[in-house]
Amino acid sequence: MYVGAVFFPLLGACISGFLGRWIGPIAARWSTVVCMALAAACGVPAFFDVAFGHNPATVPIAAWIATGGLEVSWALRYDTLSAVMVGMVTFVSFLIHLYSVGYMAHDPTQPRFFAYLSLFTFMMLMLVTADNLVQLFFGWEGVGLASYLLIGYWYERESANAAAIKAFVVNRVGDLFFMLGVALTFWTFGSLEFTAIFGAVDQHLGDRFLGVPALELIAVLLFLGACGKSAQIGLHTWLPDAMEGPTPVSALIHAATMVTAGVFLVARMSPLFEYAPTALAIVTVVGAATAFFAATVGCVQNDIKRVIAYSTCSQLGYMFFAAGVGAYQAAIFHLFTHAFFKALLFLGAGSVIHAMSDEQDIRKMGGIWTRVPVTYAVMWVGSLALAGIPIFAGYYSKDAILEAAFASHSATGMLAFLLGLVAAFLTAFYSWRLLILVFHGAPRADEHVMAHVHESPLVMLVPLLLLAAGAVLTGYLFAPFFIGHAWEEFWAGSIHNAPHNHILHDMHEVPAWVPLAPTVAGFTGIALAYVLYMFAPGVPERLAATFRGFYLFLLNKWYFDELYDAIFVRPALAIARIAFRVGDQRIIDGVPNGAAALAVDAARGAVRIQTGRVASYAFTMIIGLVLFVSLLYLGTTR
Amino acid sequence: MMNWTLALPEAALACAGLAILGAGVLPRRHDMFFPISMAVIGALVLAGVLVLGQGDGAALAGQYVSDAFARFSKVLVLIGAALALTLALDFNQTDRDLARFEYPVLILFAAIGMMLMVSANDLMTLYLGLELQSLAAYVLAAFNRDSERSAEAGLKYFVLGALASGLLLYGMSLVYGFVGTTSFDRLAEALTAEHAASLGLVTALVFVLAGLAFKISAVPFHMWAPDVYEGAPTPVTAFFASAPKLAAVALLTRVLTQPFGELSAQWGQVLWLVSAGSMILGAFAAIGQRNIKRLMAYSSIGNVGYALIGLVAAASADPAVRSEGVRALLFYMAIYLLMTIGAFAVLAAMRRRGRPVEEIEDLAGLARSDIGMAVWMLVFMFAMAGVPPLAGFWSKLFVFRAAIEGGYVWLAVIGVLTSVVAAYYYVRIVRVMFFDAPGAAGALDARPASLTVVMAATGLFTALFSVAPGPLLAAAQAAVAAIAG
Amino acid sequence: MTQPLLADYFPILVFLVIAGGVAAAMVGGNLLLARRKPDPEKLSPYECGFEPFGDTRRRFDVRFYLVAILFIIFDLEVAFLFPWAVGLGEIGWFGFWSMMAFLLVLTVGFLYEWRKGALEWE
Repeated sequence: MYVGAVFFPLLGACISGFLGRWIGPIAARWSTVVCMALAAACGVPAFFDVAFGHNPATVPIAAWIATGGLEVSWALRYDTLSAVMVGMVTFVSFLIHLYSVGYMAHDPTQPRFFAYLSLFTFMMLMLVTADNLVQLFFGWEGVGLASYLLIGYWYERESANAAAIKAFVVNRVGDLFFMLGVALTFWTFGSLEFTAIFGAVDQHLGDRFLGVPALELIAVLLFLGACGKSAQIGLHTWLPDAMEGPTPVSALIHAATMVTAGVFLVARMSPLFEYAPTALAIVTVVGAATAFFAATVGCVQNDIKRVIAYSTCSQLGYMFFAAGVGAYQAAIFHLFTHAFFKALLFLGAGSVIHAMSDEQDIRKMGGIWTRVPVTYAVMWVGSLALAGIPIFAGYYSKDAILEAAFASHSATGMLAFLLGLVAAFLTAFYSWRLLILVFHGAPRADEHVMAHVHESPLVMLVPLLLLAAGAVLTGYLFAPFFIGHAWEEFWAGSIHNAPHNHILHDMHEVPAWVPLAPTVAGFTGIALAYVLYMFAPGVPERLAATFRGFYLFLLNKWYFDELYDAIFVRPALAIARIAFRVGDQRIIDGVPNGAAALAVDAARGAVRIQTGRVASYAFTMIIGLVLFVSLLYLGTTR
Repeated sequence: MMNWTLALPEAALACAGLAILGAGVLPRRHDMFFPISMAVIGALVLAGVLVLGQGDGAALAGQYVSDAFARFSKVLVLIGAALALTLALDFNQTDRDLARFEYPVLILFAAIGMMLMVSANDLMTLYLGLELQSLAAYVLAAFNRDSERSAEAGLKYFVLGALASGLLLYGMSLVYGFVGTTSFDRLAEALTAEHAASLGLVTALVFVLAGLAFKISAVPFHMWAPDVYEGAPTPVTAFFASAPKLAAVALLTRVLTQPFGELSAQWGQVLWLVSAGSMILGAFAAIGQRNIKRLMAYSSIGNVGYALIGLVAAASADPAVRSEGVRALLFYMAIYLLMTIGAFAVLAAMRRRGRPVEEIEDLAGLARSDIGMAVWMLVFMFAMAGVPPLAGFWSKLFVFRAAIEGGYVWLAVIGVLTSVVAAYYYVRIVRVMFFDAPGAAGALDARPASLTVVMAATGLFTALFSVAPGPLLAAAQAAVAAIAG
Repeated sequence: MTQPLLADYFPILVFLVIAGGVAAAMVGGNLLLARRKPDPEKLSPYECGFEPFGDTRRRFDVRFYLVAILFIIFDLEVAFLFPWAVGLGEIGWFGFWSMMAFLLVLTVGFLYEWRKGALEWE
């Protein structure tokens, strides 16, 4: 069961990828779906078995690296943390595979798509079940690769290629720090096995590296790695562009699973982070800043998928600052619920795009809610969950996070709480802005498009409905276990809380207005959206005109891309150009070309000696003779 | 005391030579070329069999020695001579001017000379063998009497060869003057004793070396090679590039390792320069060539340079490296011999409307008109360029390894770099054959069966050598044990 | 070592002196004793068969050289035979057969040149 959950997707990927040409697209896609179904059938019971049956296990598979002091093996580590991820990933991935069958039905290279998608799932599962940092890194890079392949899936589009490269490069920046973190971990602990590392944290509390506490440095480096993968502010720029990929990809990779790997990493390394207060403070600040920043940008975007992408970015910020204040459980809980409603939102958006003949600009939509009732309904559910409206899943997790931030009683915690509250308001606002612009009002698309607006096929609606159920229920059902009274029993030590960390207890004892505040912020945001877009649709434009600078600032995403372009890309290109002109053309090419030219000259010279005259030949012989004799004379007399 | 029976192969071959000469000249006919050629090939094969049955020991008052080293070289010399003669078998169809029975007889006498060279155990035997081989070779070079270039080649070869012989003789006389003997055995004893490195002896050594280096066309005694190779008829060139070279290298190896073994510090230096110079010249001078026979001349100069790396390693103080070096050398020459004859078989097949053509451009489009020949040529060119897994790769690998183990790293580096350069012109020929459009002059003539046999035999050896390298390696190892063990 | 070696060469020195002396005596005797009646034909240097002075690139008949070379070979043969005949008693059958082999080689060569027509002037 444990092994099956991880390796069925690989099997599916192999079948579809290697045999797709022979078995045809239909067999290929259904084989991956069946494999994913099997994986989910293994993964979800595994989750219950481990988390509720209290039956953690480690499944060794094979020895991998054994060199000197470094020994690494392949093993699947199933504790509650992993099991939560495995259950969630296999389930969501299965639904998205199913959805893709409908969504990608007209694509000419489906086997490739499904192979990538399954490969991604396998890599993600390797990541979350890793028993050591190297295996985790394997999964980490594997999902990066799969993400690159899928973003650039429509490789005929230049923008898709650019986005794929950008995603890969930005992720590499994070990966560099991650690798440094891994190296420093090995340097400090002498091992990369989680068990060994976590057991030895006590002995290395005082270790210093270059005068900096080693644990702090490791934590910061790993967090920077996580920033890349989880699109935290600074390294977030790739995520919105990644929407170039097919929508199911955005749902699976860039909402539900891969981007949460960073949060997972922090939670997984919680025994380390707990003893790195500075690093935690950094995590909190970065997370809060991201939550706020992405929410502001999300308010003005016009591409339906980009809006949701920024909301993902923002929600990831929530998860990080939850982890930053020590409430890893709350972070993972939000990760868990978020996976459902964010996948739901993306798939719903995909359904809308499908209905609108591949139109993604929300300014060209509107007035279609009667035509796509199911999509409309699930988008509502997803938005309610995202905005943190009571009963819906997001309410439980987001509230918990904000309470934890408040309860941490630290400056960074308070900052996070305030920014989180503003972000909650903005989240609700842009969610309803999206809903209203897409579904209500007068149709802004041309007649041709409107004539073709239709509800999606059943194979797409079923996953939507299942996810919608998840978006409604997961919060209510699982809150007691993840963050409620049963949390200690549920997590069973898979996330470590230091003895001084009582946050999960404290968060339930905050003043009464604190739990209410996010809900209020949410409703306010919804109300504002109705006012601005439903009842007074001219106002936003006037606001935009009045605060033009501010609007452009938001619209251009705080000019991060431009900034990076100026600071990194252009200098790098300039250096590359110099390197190309001087290094490559002159030196690298020049040496062999010069050598070749020299060879030709030498050949000409050698041929010129060859005069054809016997006398000169004889002369050469004698010269050679004299040369050798005198050489030896000199050698002998010396 | 004289136990001349040990020299039975040479004696038998000599008698056969006289008989064949008589048989060729007595009948008043002009179509004796083919039967005489077959008789000579038969005699060469017979001599080969006799060589294989030869025992160890010295004969003819210590002038002649038979050991595994000599037998290894002799067998290869005989194979080379026989194959080179096979290349000419079609003369009576294609080149009636050349189809004279003296041709095979001269090759036979050259073969006797070469066998004497590799069995020489005395400076006198050495000289006699060398001259017997050389005189036959001078005539062969000029064999196409009606061709100015051939006559010029013969004359140049003769004049310069005479100079080289003079140098050799002078060196030998100096050796005799300083040591008082010409026997290899006694030279070796005397040199160990006291005279190790007097200036006079060193001078003598250099003169002997120069005379022998001429025969293997090593830089700076190589100048004759391109002109002679170009001028001589192609089968003759094939002969020059193969068997005599191997014999002279074997002779040089014996002379340097046995009587002059104690002077290895001196001849090692000289050979280092000779080897490096040959490799460099062979690589660079061939680049600009348009005539493929000239190109092969430079290629053969370069190949001698590589082979001599092994001999340089044989100058090492470490016995293990010494034997490794000699083994690499023998191995190299054996593979070189067969590769070269194969390549020359292709060159000999380059005829258009009955006339030989020699430009590289004449090969253009060969892949379309005669894919079989193009493929064989590709095998030979790639093997010479040292592309694995062809035979030429292993031979280069062994000499470079010997050099590195002997500490002659720079020589190995020069070797590798020059083989890269040389690969250019080998691959260029392949490119011309496979990718260039055929010229206006039309396709080459159909190749005669005799050439096909030679091409296929040497080509299969070159291509499939990696499958069963054991026998050749074992034979080389045994040969090494006889002189450098 | 060098002293006895040089002593070994002493007879050669004697031989050279005597040879030089004989040659000088013959030329000198001619100068002193002979009657001189010079005419142009007598004064011109003698070359076998063609003009002593002229263009170096002019053709000449290779047959002169053929004959000369054949002469040298058999001349040497005789020079070789003489000491052999003198010492035959001491070198025994081995010596005898060695010379027979040598003569056989020469005979085959002679046979070759005879059949090839090298001995016929026209």
